[in-house]
Amino acid sequence: MKIAAQNQPTSGSSPELGPELDGFEIKRRPILGLGLLMATVISTLAMLIYFGAWASTDRIENRAFAAGAAESHVEGNWWEDGLIMACPLH
Amino acid sequence: MRNAALWLDKKFGLEEHTIAHYAWVIVFIAGAVQMVGAAIRMAFGVLVDPLVQTFGWSPGSIGLAYALMSIVAALASPVAGYAGNRFGARRTMATGTVLFFIGMMWTSQTKELWELYVAYGLVFGISQALLLVPVVPSVAAWFRRHLGLGTGIMMVSWSLGPALVVQLLAVLFNTVGWSQAFMFVGIVGTVTLSFALLFFRNTPEDAGRIAYGTRGYDKPLVTKGNVFVSTQQEFQGYVYKTNAFWNLINIHFLGCAGHAVILVGIIPFAISQGLGPLAAAGVLTTISITSVSTRFITPILSDRFSSKTVMFVSFVGQGIGVFLLFTADSTLDFYLFAVLWAIPYGGEGTSFPIANRRYYGHSPMGTTYGWQLLGAGLGMALGGALPGMMFDITGGYMWAFGLSAAFSLIGAVSITLLETSNKQLIPDWPELDDAVPGLANDPGTKNEMKPVLNQTGSNPNSGD
Repeated sequence: MKIAAQNQPTSGSSPELGPELDGFEIKRRPILGLGLLMATVISTLAMLIYFGAWASTDRIENRAFAAGAAESHVEGNWWEDGLIMACPLH
Repeated sequence: MRNAALWLDKKFGLEEHTIAHYAWVIVFIAGAVQMVGAAIRMAFGVLVDPLVQTFGWSPGSIGLAYALMSIVAALASPVAGYAGNRFGARRTMATGTVLFFIGMMWTSQTKELWELYVAYGLVFGISQALLLVPVVPSVAAWFRRHLGLGTGIMMVSWSLGPALVVQLLAVLFNTVGWSQAFMFVGIVGTVTLSFALLFFRNTPEDAGRIAYGTRGYDKPLVTKGNVFVSTQQEFQGYVYKTNAFWNLINIHFLGCAGHAVILVGIIPFAISQGLGPLAAAGVLTTISITSVSTRFITPILSDRFSSKTVMFVSFVGQGIGVFLLFTADSTLDFYLFAVLWAIPYGGEGTSFPIANRRYYGHSPMGTTYGWQLLGAGLGMALGGALPGMMFDITGGYMWAFGLSAAFSLIGAVSITLLETSNKQLIPDWPELDDAVPGLANDPGTKNEMKPVLNQTGSNPNSGD
């Protein structure tokens, strides 16, 4: 793609035109790149929720064990409850 | 200084690879900015114990300030990159210097935990982005060709610098206390940054010079004025429409998450396997020292051959190398791992400026690079948190190391899906009509025909 740039003043004050790009255009959407990025973001969030829920379950179990009470009688922190609720595997 | 450089040029018969070029001053300044800007970030671990002793805060709540700073720096990176393009790297870094000073002074006077979060997490985090993001695209602007050489030298100083400064900070913390150490480093750092910025120029045209590697047939690039601003917006629009733009953010995230797990988890894992604290710390030092070699050579190889291939090899090596840890239980095993893993690790992140040049030519890469550093910063934050998290859950580090290998290898697969780096994806950045003054008729420069770039042709931006 050849480009013919206008002669370039450096003051930044004149209303010169931009370069002529010979009608260059990218018509395709970056589906692959965006898809890979989105897949990574979603997988990472899923992983964090899974391991976070695992850690939360362990913490609640440990507190229940220390208190000599059943797990169902021990209250979790808001974030522990939230992670366990968000994870379909816990 | 310049006379000495000219003498060396003459002595070694250097023509295109001249030592007497202002681009090397810019590379040196970039190294200094990184050294000062990143030192406190690297030395945060030294700060934890003094704060626990002085204020009784928990290590976890202090560590949150570091996590906050990392995330703020990552989120601010695209803005910092854009500001570097729009207002110039020098102005952006000057703003970063002011915030660096405020952040350091405020942190030194911190009495409450929320102050630490604001001063270190927020103010210092933004200063990190403003200082460290625009400097790489600016160095790139100084290299018309051979960007790999400039990037390689800059990356060496980036890894050696913090390693040296961290030792100095540890001594300072022990002798004058954390508060005065922060004030001292804040003042010395600000003076150093301000002095360096006096000599910093955003582009060769700003300094009335020509870029390194400019040949006789090259015309100057558009770097100022209304056309620069409007063209930049237009070209950035093209960049957003390429798969490579989004995939490179993804790849940088995966690569950084992959090695952050190792960098954070290797010492506690080595100790758990029976190594003494000194020997365990030596593993990390060995990784730092060994990686310097590939930090230097990888950008040069990327520039000369294919940045996509070089990145792929680095990611595969970084991923496969982790498996050595699964059977490591002796000092020799750990040091062997350190040497073998550090080689690909050193090359993981250093090819990105070269890939940007290959894909997007000489268009200003600040915004693009800023987005890539957003991915890198979030990857570092995630990878840094994983070893502790997985240890709490499983009582060991193997899960974390397994995830590290997975991140790197998925990154390698993503690299294979990049467009070929031998083809430029957007049009050439516009040039001025006149040839570079003083070079066109210079018998010492190559006066070849200007290569015409097309969408299917080879890339003229390699260092060859």
